[in-house]
Amino acid sequence: MGENEFTTNRRKFLQATAVTGVAGAVGNVLTEPPQAEAAGTPAKSETKIVKNVCHQCPARCGIDVYVTDGKVHAIYGTLDHPISNGKLCPKGHFGTYILYDPDRFPGPMKRTNPKKGRNEDPKFVRISWDEALTTIAARLNALREKGEQHRFALLTGRGWGNSDAGLTDNFGKLFGTPNATLGHSSMCSDASKRAKQLMDGNYAYNSYDYRNTNYLLNFGAAFLEAYRPLNANMQAWGYMRTKAPRTKVTVVDIRVTTTGAAADHLLLVKPGTDGALALAIAHVILTEGLWDKKFVGDFGEGKNLFKAGATLDPSTFTERWTKGLIEWWNAEVKDRTPEWAAGITTIPAADIVKVAHEFGTTRPAMAIFERGPTTHTNAIYNGMSIHALNALVGSMYAVGGLANQMGVPYGALPWKVDDYIDEAAKAASARKLPRIDRVKTSEGPLWSNMIQGIPDFHMEGKPYKLDTLMFYLTNPMFSTPDCTRWERALQDIFVIETSPFPGETAMFADLIVPDHTYLERLQDTPTYPFQGFPLAGLRVPAVKPVHETKVFGDTLIEIGKRINGKMGEYYRQVGNVENVIRALAKGFEKNPGDNGVNSFDTWVEKGVWYRKPYSWRQINGEFFEWDGSDYRKPMTPEDVKKKLFMTESGKFELRSSYLERYADFVNAKLGVPKDRVGFPQWLPPNYSGKGDLFLVTPKTPIHAEGRSANIPQAISIYQPVSGGRNEMFLEMHPKAAKARHIKNGDLVRIKSDIGSITARVHLTPAARPDTIVLPFGFGHWAQGRWAKNRGENASAIIPNVSDPISGLTSNYSTLVTVEKA
Amino acid sequence: MPRWGMVIDLEKCTGCQACTAACQMENCRLPGEMWQDVLFYSEGEYPSGKLTWLPRPCMHCENPSCVAVCPTGAAYKAENGAVLIDWERCIGCKYCMIACPYGVRFYAEEKQKTQPDIRDVFPAKGDKVWDPPYKMPEQVQDPKHGVGVQPKNVVSKCTFCYHRTSKAPTGLKDLDPNDPATRKFTPACVVTCAPGARYFGDLDNPESNVRKLIAEKRGTRLLDQTGNRPQVYYLAGEAPVIPETRSVRKPKQSPET
Repeated sequence: MGENEFTTNRRKFLQATAVTGVAGAVGNVLTEPPQAEAAGTPAKSETKIVKNVCHQCPARCGIDVYVTDGKVHAIYGTLDHPISNGKLCPKGHFGTYILYDPDRFPGPMKRTNPKKGRNEDPKFVRISWDEALTTIAARLNALREKGEQHRFALLTGRGWGNSDAGLTDNFGKLFGTPNATLGHSSMCSDASKRAKQLMDGNYAYNSYDYRNTNYLLNFGAAFLEAYRPLNANMQAWGYMRTKAPRTKVTVVDIRVTTTGAAADHLLLVKPGTDGALALAIAHVILTEGLWDKKFVGDFGEGKNLFKAGATLDPSTFTERWTKGLIEWWNAEVKDRTPEWAAGITTIPAADIVKVAHEFGTTRPAMAIFERGPTTHTNAIYNGMSIHALNALVGSMYAVGGLANQMGVPYGALPWKVDDYIDEAAKAASARKLPRIDRVKTSEGPLWSNMIQGIPDFHMEGKPYKLDTLMFYLTNPMFSTPDCTRWERALQDIFVIETSPFPGETAMFADLIVPDHTYLERLQDTPTYPFQGFPLAGLRVPAVKPVHETKVFGDTLIEIGKRINGKMGEYYRQVGNVENVIRALAKGFEKNPGDNGVNSFDTWVEKGVWYRKPYSWRQINGEFFEWDGSDYRKPMTPEDVKKKLFMTESGKFELRSSYLERYADFVNAKLGVPKDRVGFPQWLPPNYSGKGDLFLVTPKTPIHAEGRSANIPQAISIYQPVSGGRNEMFLEMHPKAAKARHIKNGDLVRIKSDIGSITARVHLTPAARPDTIVLPFGFGHWAQGRWAKNRGENASAIIPNVSDPISGLTSNYSTLVTVEKA
Repeated sequence: MPRWGMVIDLEKCTGCQACTAACQMENCRLPGEMWQDVLFYSEGEYPSGKLTWLPRPCMHCENPSCVAVCPTGAAYKAENGAVLIDWERCIGCKYCMIACPYGVRFYAEEKQKTQPDIRDVFPAKGDKVWDPPYKMPEQVQDPKHGVGVQPKNVVSKCTFCYHRTSKAPTGLKDLDPNDPATRKFTPACVVTCAPGARYFGDLDNPESNVRKLIAEKRGTRLLDQTGNRPQVYYLAGEAPVIPETRSVRKPKQSPET
């Protein structure tokens, strides 16, 4: 895109924003253009608050959008919203800027320069929406005629609900491709979900009762920086740290974070060794008799028989809600002493014992973890070792413990997909082709997604070559490991980008069909795991679209209408996203929310439907269901198995029967002896590269999943802990620097096995001397005038290595060398 | 007339900078013009290094040295206790910036640190520094009280959100962000603070929550020896941020620099 285009954009944009009106807060919000002036209301200069949901992380904070004279001028948290409670994190306030970002795409565009490359101007020219949609439909119809529907794929990033990413499944079924719902979760947190599923049967992130916990043992979750829901975490933090008794917090991480600094203890472990630490804590809890006997069970005689190094007869112990404790002890935990763990983690044994005592003697207590311990090749075993602690202290489904998120009782869509599956779609599914990302093949039987593999798989032509690839809210060309592979892979693919912003993927796109920004959208957002009770937010357009954009759900529906055969009929029935949302809202008629939301209109007005409480609770080893006024309805073991511990045994499995089904696979990929596969255990990570320093690339509280890189106000406060207020510094210990003749402020070259980047050093004496930190976020070569060419992107030098079980990228296992540039 | 003051509980503050961001967007600040900044300090060395932080708004001193040095009377102490700048009188001499012991006054310099210069991207038509599309409504802007987008060549600073606080009905002890009745009068940084580390109330009212907090939790003021008498109090607790309570001292020379 030429500079002139942007200049014109800006002028157009200024004109456009000058005349926009306030969207009607109720009624037919999407299909009827809001006509404030025409209707004579509201009066000029009246400030209106429109409900929306923040878009800068997955948390789904309800927001109040302040609109005066058709302009958005402020965003604050919604006071009566259970997640935001009137508060926001720093990112939330920048939403106004995102709406008015001068580098946004002005409308649909097509590429006129056939050459694709970083330095190739795509020479985009504006086209009409009809031309854009017809172009896409023509390609898809042609694929259908050739019986090659699988060569169309849709990659999704931050999907929100049933009116956007939730529409892609049906699109794939009707069209006849297995590739319409390719997620990004393999570069997010798939390993933590999988590790939990292998033990408690729930393939999900947990919900947490932070306010009632008295001990938080946190392995590598940036609780006060990036762990969602950040805003709610911080609210809980203010409470936890000033209540009586004050919640004690221990943070296990590989770098100095604000979370670690604010905690009582910060244990700076060697990257990838969290599992060893967790196993040693389990060892202390067992040998010292600190486990929760009502949840776990006890020895027949009541006398603690756990002695380091000594095996036990399983029949001596009667388990209640766990399964395989003694087998796990015999196979693994008996030898995992603090002294042993000290040699692996670099944490002194005395510190491990201290934390184990605190954690084991404080109730309620919980252990949380996320990407930190799991972006390594030993992801699953690190995760399982940590999650086992939650069983030992009895925190599953307890007050101050962990539970799982309940779904939203949405109304069903009135259009039956099965009635619209035509011959072309049937023939496609009969071909039983695998997904392009090879998920659920023998290569990755437990993968959910494998976005980072797609460029290689396409270039190899195995399982096949893609023809058309559509991107929604993901920019893997910037964010996946070894990201430059996409620049080669996308050469012979027709690329459709839906982002409103000119990111890297867009620069390789053949067609731009830009989405609204979130303040312009009507969109449902059922909650990410939060406190367990169901909750669904709604985005209501605050202003008319600033540009000629279209909400992604409508783009998909409009493409569908243009597909030949029954598929087109289906989408003509659906009509638009608003019809979908109205159908979802029907479910609230029977299940009114606590705030009175029982219809589409009341949902629009309040911006959120929710219904407390969570339905289940474990109290002293007994499970109860909510009876309308308290947790008093006893649950049978069958109930618990059906609703809470969905494992083969209906128990929390310390020997995972699910993982043992894949014993041959795990043995072949990781070398774990087949009879040990099911146990949480220490497995050394395979670090990638010949370097001598670990490179880690965390998110700061300003990182908004790629949406903050072009906001100058965000750039100016991006990395405050190291003074990174305009550029991103590489945090490095002075000893590591001195050994390489590097001084504070020097530009250095960071080299991995696959490439090198430069960054400026900020000496950080508190850091681990073997670990360097370059927060993720800068280093774009596109994305807008402020984002472009601001530093270099670490994703370019992180090798594409993944945990073979979950498929999660092993981002933090990279070893690099550093020298003066 | 209340004398508004702020209390910041450092045991709750998470250093997230939401206060900074809320202030920037509410008050149309330029990138880097952080009326409400958070300062970070790194002390000690692995494995016992310590990272600490201090949120720092204008202290709205009882005895403000910036007002004393202002040659034109542009800097003044408002009736509700806020230290403000009358942009119609300010000549941009920056004496006040030198006189302020807390470094909380700003001047939009020729060269912006964050490039491209946002002032060129959203240029103002008249005398203003820039024209952000999300600026506060014209009728709220108030140059006599230093509120809104500033004209060129003036100093700017935190106003305790004068456009919000000055509208509060009389007789309120505190402006509570969680109370729907008082939320809209409460400064932006206090409204958004997720851990609830900020409190705002009448320092002249012995029954206000801020006065109780200062008494119960030993509120302290920064650089009290200057005699400026800030109206922003910190509850330091165990947080080693305030110089008086620091437990970790910097070595004479930072190691290996």
